[in-house]
Amino acid sequence: MKLTRLRVAELRRFREPFEISDFAPGLNVFAAPNESGKSTLVRAIRAAFFERHRSSGAEDLRPWGDSAAAPTVELDFTLGCSDYRLVKSFLQKKRCELVAGARRWEGAEAEDHLAELLGFEYALKGASGQKHWGIPGLLWVEQGTTQAIAEPVEHAAAHLQRALNASLGEVAATGGDEVLERVRALRRELLTATGRPTGALAEALRVADESAARVAETEAAVRRHAEQVDRLKRLRDEHEAETKEAPWTALRQQLAQAEAALAAAEGLQREHDAAAAALRQADGLAGLLRQQIADEARRQQELAARESTRAGTQRRHEAATGAEAAARQALATAESRFAAARAALVLARQEQTRAQLGRDLAAARQAADSAAAALERARAEATRAATLRREADALAVPQAELKTLRQQSQRLHELGIRQDAVATRLAFELQADAGVALDGAPLVGQGERRLTQAATLTLPGGTVTVVPGGEDLAALVREHARLADERAALLQRLGLASADEAEARAAAHALKSQEAESARQALALLAPQGLDTLEAERSRAQARHAEAEQALAALPPAPDTAPPAVAAAEAEATAAEQARADAARQAEARQRERATAEAEHQAAVREHQALAEALAAPERAEAQRRQPLALADAQAQQAAAQRGLDAVQARIAAARPDILRQDVERLRRSADEAERAHRARELEVARLAAELAAVGAQGLDEQLAGERAAAEHAARRRDELQRRADALELLLGKLESHRQALTRRLQAPLQKHLDHYASLLFPAGRLEVGDSLRPEVLARPGQRGEERGAFETLSFGAREQLGLVCRLAYADLLREAGRPTLVILDDALVHTDAERLERMKRIVFDAAQRHQLLVFSCHPAQWRDLGVPVRRL
Amino acid sequence: MTTLIHTADWQIGRQYGGFEPEDAAALADARFAAVERIAHLAADEQADAVLVAGDVFDAQGVSARTIRRMFNAMAPFAGPWVLIPGNHDAALAEGVWRHALRLNVVPANVKLALEPGVVELPEARAAVLCAPLTQRHTYTDLTEPFDGWATPEGWLRLGLAHGAVQGLLAEDIDSANPIAPDRAERARLDYLALGDWHGAKRIGERCWYAGTPEQDRFKDNGAGQVLRVRIAGPGAVPEVEALPLGRHRWRTLERRLAVPSDVEALVAELAACGADEILQLTLTGTLDLAGRARLDEAIAAAEARVRALRCERGGLRLAPTAEDLAALHADGYLGEVLAELREADGPVEQEALALLAGLLAGREEAAA
Repeated sequence: MKLTRLRVAELRRFREPFEISDFAPGLNVFAAPNESGKSTLVRAIRAAFFERHRSSGAEDLRPWGDSAAAPTVELDFTLGCSDYRLVKSFLQKKRCELVAGARRWEGAEAEDHLAELLGFEYALKGASGQKHWGIPGLLWVEQGTTQAIAEPVEHAAAHLQRALNASLGEVAATGGDEVLERVRALRRELLTATGRPTGALAEALRVADESAARVAETEAAVRRHAEQVDRLKRLRDEHEAETKEAPWTALRQQLAQAEAALAAAEGLQREHDAAAAALRQADGLAGLLRQQIADEARRQQELAARESTRAGTQRRHEAATGAEAAARQALATAESRFAAARAALVLARQEQTRAQLGRDLAAARQAADSAAAALERARAEATRAATLRREADALAVPQAELKTLRQQSQRLHELGIRQDAVATRLAFELQADAGVALDGAPLVGQGERRLTQAATLTLPGGTVTVVPGGEDLAALVREHARLADERAALLQRLGLASADEAEARAAAHALKSQEAESARQALALLAPQGLDTLEAERSRAQARHAEAEQALAALPPAPDTAPPAVAAAEAEATAAEQARADAARQAEARQRERATAEAEHQAAVREHQALAEALAAPERAEAQRRQPLALADAQAQQAAAQRGLDAVQARIAAARPDILRQDVERLRRSADEAERAHRARELEVARLAAELAAVGAQGLDEQLAGERAAAEHAARRRDELQRRADALELLLGKLESHRQALTRRLQAPLQKHLDHYASLLFPAGRLEVGDSLRPEVLARPGQRGEERGAFETLSFGAREQLGLVCRLAYADLLREAGRPTLVILDDALVHTDAERLERMKRIVFDAAQRHQLLVFSCHPAQWRDLGVPVRRL
Repeated sequence: MTTLIHTADWQIGRQYGGFEPEDAAALADARFAAVERIAHLAADEQADAVLVAGDVFDAQGVSARTIRRMFNAMAPFAGPWVLIPGNHDAALAEGVWRHALRLNVVPANVKLALEPGVVELPEARAAVLCAPLTQRHTYTDLTEPFDGWATPEGWLRLGLAHGAVQGLLAEDIDSANPIAPDRAERARLDYLALGDWHGAKRIGERCWYAGTPEQDRFKDNGAGQVLRVRIAGPGAVPEVEALPLGRHRWRTLERRLAVPSDVEALVAELAACGADEILQLTLTGTLDLAGRARLDEAIAAAEARVRALRCERGGLRLAPTAEDLAALHADGYLGEVLAELREADGPVEQEALALLAGLLAGREEAAA
């Protein structure tokens, strides 16, 4: 389809007719700034085709504010071999006319013919929408929608599909997809998406497995039961055989034999015991006799020993007697020495006492003398101290009164000074006998009087009374007088004439007191414990003297010769006493020894005598003579008993009673065990029979057969379902792969065109379309092999470019199918960068070799290099 | 004239695993019914005794209820029954017979020969020499002692045993429980009643297998009968007649389908099957879609009618014809898949083909 002329009138901004009559068969570029009418032209073309002339959807074509307008579009175009003219008016003048040579269509008929030619539909009601636009909707790209390709493709799908089928000359399966979906649904009933059993198949598998498990279980039970039945049979047979055979009977017989043998052997033991007893008896007798003989010999030896003991004790007794006599002699000597030493010691001590008494007497006299002298001096000091004290006491002025006196004198002195200070001074200088008297006392010469009270001055011519002023003076005078009175009273009480005298007496008192103190101290030195003590001391000294004299007089008269010294006498006395004690102890010891020896000797004599008398008894001689004969008899008996015992022992050794005892035990146990085992087996048989009867009552075999039948049935169902699932899987696989192969085959022509353009845009790139003929995947070489990107995930720019590529490829496809392929691009590729735009321009130019392309743009510079004039509106 | 009913291999308690549960239950029940019919037959025939030659029970471990039901089924005949255990119900130390004795359900007229020996039937003036199995398998001829056993003078001398007659039943060579082929003669028996072989079979003029009275497998060898044995007196040759008694007919149909008429023939055959039949279909060959639909319908109809039907069609290939495919309007990739599956042979592919064809046919139906 080629557009050759376009004329619009009363349409939006084109109130006046506007015409383009020189469309090129290939590329036509219209460039104009915004708002200059290029979109209006595109809209006019669309309206001419898509909007019914009666449609209210054309309202937007009306020029602004022109209610009387009849927007009109005229289009001349070539389609196939025919030239067409379409004239369409809207709104005020609704009209449509299509003329092709001699043929002419009017109104709706014209529009329907047009739709048939171009491959689109009309809206049943209202404005035409995308879904009605079919092929033109795909190839006429509105501003900014180049990338949105999915919907236009969907709306043109039937046309594209037809174009593809036409080009392939082959039919896809009629209703194939419906069958495919049915197969999928059937498969879903049995298998999950991942091919695992589900639904009835899973249930059948489970049931089959469970059935098989139950069968295996019951089979095992049946097998066990059969084995047990066999065992029961075996046990019963054994039991019966054994009951007949009764092996314990033979054992019991053997046991009886063994017991008899053992009894015999035990009889031998009794014989052995008797022989042993006889032997023991013989042994005892012989031993007794040998003992008696030995005893006799021992007694003789003892008698000899006693004799020798007796001799020994006699010797020891005699020696002890001699020693005792010597010791007594020594004791007598020591006692006489001791007596002499005692007498010498007494004398020596007497003389020593005398000498001592003499010395005591002299000392006592001297002590009595010195005590008497000290007493005398002390008495004199005491007298003097008492005198001085008395004198001092007489001079004493009481200390408190002396103090009061001193204070009074001081106060009086002070009062006198103050009185003097405030007293009225009466100074005078008179001639001798001037006849002036004061208070009667004449005043002469030069002097001064201080008046402290009214005074009368007698003058030769009269009297003058002077009264000193002020209260103070009077008070002072009164105070002075009071004090002077008090002092005078005090002095009088003390018997003193004046204060000075009081002071003198106080000083004399102090002096006397010192002397008295000094005398007292001397007394204290002479008689520290007082005079009475000193006097008692003197009396005691005199008494001691008297006693010493008395004692001396009581002493016996002194011997003629001087006795030895006390120390020497004492030493001698001590030594003599020691010697006497030693001698006494010696004498005593010797006496004891002698007594012991004597007792021993007497005992030895008695023992010897007793034994000798016993041995000398007459019947003993006979007995001694018989003993050896009896011994010989006894030994003969012994030998005989030994022989008898040996013989019995030899027989016992041959019979082995220990082994016989073991035999008895062994055979008894064996017989018991045989019977026990027999009884146990009997019980086991009964138990097993009961057990098997119980199991048998369950009807295991029947149960097993039933379970086997169920298992077989379950397996059959499982196999059937499995085969069905397998078949569905196979069928689905085959259908899908065939369908896919077919789709690929069908899409091959489209793919060819797509590859043609895509490789111009992306070298070695490839755009794959899906079932719905929409672009789905862009595959292009990347750094790591081929990269595949879903169309929807590509950038806006890339989608825009590929959107255009697809449309051009569809156009190629439609052209091959003989369909009209006018391509209109309104401001396409606005998001494409300079480099891609260059490539896109090559693509557009290439497409323009086969199709008429109307390119509207507001960027004239971009389209300057397409080899056609860029037209301005 | 003495009349005996000889039967064996009742296999009471047998379960049928290869069938749908309800069919299996019916087949198990049929065995009791067979015993009941034997009892009625014996009563009708005024038989002197019924000899049951082993495998009365199918297994040792059957339920008490099963045991009771069996003895109940025997009630219609009040005359003497002589039963011996076979290999399935050998008189073990513990098993089904002891269970029955414990349950106290064995009537006085039923003689259980659980040990080798002679059972005397004074009213019939007959002695039955019994060789019961006391273990599952023996490798000695248990009938050998028959030769030496004495029986009352002038009485019939009858043998009752369970096992494989040596040399006659080719497939039983070297099998367990052997029985000498000339035992009847050697033991001077008037008649030797045998069990184990499931079909009625004559071994000699005095020696027969009775077979099972109710068929229980697809092997068709004369099962489903009992023997009526009439003996004029000791030494006389018995008259033996096999009387049909079984209810169910077990049949195996092995058919190769190649052309549509093969299918038609099979369909006709299936239509002719009765309610008591148990069918085992083994189909091979190829089928077009129409044939398959026809066959499916016929089988479904037969399944609803017969006692049980098992169909093995693993060897049957579904091969849609060009017309089939055209009728399915399978074009495009569906057609490709259909063609591909047609070429393949495996069972899964066959199933897939059937599925796809079914889906396409369903689609066609929906469209139509």
